[in-house]
Amino acid sequence: MDKFIFGRFIPGESWVHKMDPRAKLLISFFFILLVFFANNVMSYVLVFAVLISSILLSGVSLGFFIKGIRPLLWLMVFTVIIQILFGAGGHVYWSWGWISITQQGVISAVYILLRFLAIIMMSTLLTLTTQPLQIADGVEELLKPLKKIHFPVETLALMLSLALRFVPTLMDEATKIMDAQRARGVDFGSGGVKQQVKTVVPLLIPLFVSAFNRASDIAIAMEARGYKDGLNRTKYRELRWRKQDSISGLIYVVAGVVLLFIRN
Amino acid sequence: MKTLGFYRLSTLRTAILGVLMALQLILGRFSFSPTTFFRFSFTFIATVLMAVWVGPIWASVASALTDIVGTLIMGSPYFVGFTISAILGAFIYGVFLYDQRVSLVKVIIAQVLISVIVNLVLNTLWLTLMYKTPFWALLPARGLKELVSAPIQIFIIYIILKNTTIRTLGRRL
Repeated sequence: MDKFIFGRFIPGESWVHKMDPRAKLLISFFFILLVFFANNVMSYVLVFAVLISSILLSGVSLGFFIKGIRPLLWLMVFTVIIQILFGAGGHVYWSWGWISITQQGVISAVYILLRFLAIIMMSTLLTLTTQPLQIADGVEELLKPLKKIHFPVETLALMLSLALRFVPTLMDEATKIMDAQRARGVDFGSGGVKQQVKTVVPLLIPLFVSAFNRASDIAIAMEARGYKDGLNRTKYRELRWRKQDSISGLIYVVAGVVLLFIRN
Repeated sequence: MKTLGFYRLSTLRTAILGVLMALQLILGRFSFSPTTFFRFSFTFIATVLMAVWVGPIWASVASALTDIVGTLIMGSPYFVGFTISAILGAFIYGVFLYDQRVSLVKVIIAQVLISVIVNLVLNTLWLTLMYKTPFWALLPARGLKELVSAPIQIFIIYIILKNTTIRTLGRRL
């Protein structure tokens, strides 16, 4: 098992790092939407100009973004190959039976590759420059309007904070249980399918029991400190929307409008 | 099924949902590969326990939130379709497993529905919408994966839900 790093946040002091998480979330969603609209050379140039300037502003080195691409590599290769082999239209370079490489196929494969890169790099940028807790706070704030339709935003926000707090603890717990079972002779990750599934149960049951016990301890401690669901509580961590958030947002909106004009 | 609405959660259930959300984030990391060509993760078990302990509605919103925050934290591209899949998955488990006697047939029906509708059709559709990956080219490969993983999932869910320790915990709620 690889060493677990929760989130992949890289500390920094750049423009992007200091932005409000809400702004960053909205901008990344908006950017992904923009990528869906790009459909010719100029529009992709615009998308990448915006993306690359954002990356430069964040001051994070490019190597981290290349790492972000890895998990989706197989899907990328698969999609591009299928597009090249089965895309139809335009000048035919090479054909064999019903497989043919055409000009149109190659062009659309390149576009799809660019689209992949843009979406992945933007999501990576958000992750690298925002702490998990900030992301959670941002998501919570953005869900706030749903309170109007009686969606339990506050309870969910509480669950989310609990979840983030307990990821490292439970992770340690899981590793400990694994080691404890190993010490008694359980051999993880060897043998046939049936054997492997059987070794997993002695890992999972203790993990769930310990998670449950932790939860019940927390619940008692929370109530002892005066927690009651549905009370209007105040907030200790507050997000601040600054001038640079508005500026960045404006730049993206302008890019979006320009894109609508240059796409065909 | 007791209720479909957002009934008020006790503090204990709130805390349990929180901890199970943490497990949903973690268990993805404990993947194992029974055969060399595919990996299998245990996230679904946290979802099942959510569904069994707090019911379909709360389980589905909690899974939705884990999906949103989890993808953003891990740096994978966010797409709303996968959140819909997370909601549906937890909801189906909840409808079949919440507040009733667990039987192998129910587990099988729930898992088959999820494997076919959510994992196979919807998730492939999302990939197609998002990256223009050809739907029919991707479907067979993913179908094969589901064919292998669904029986394993059914087996694990059944064993865990029948486990006396887990059932004792359920009674403490």
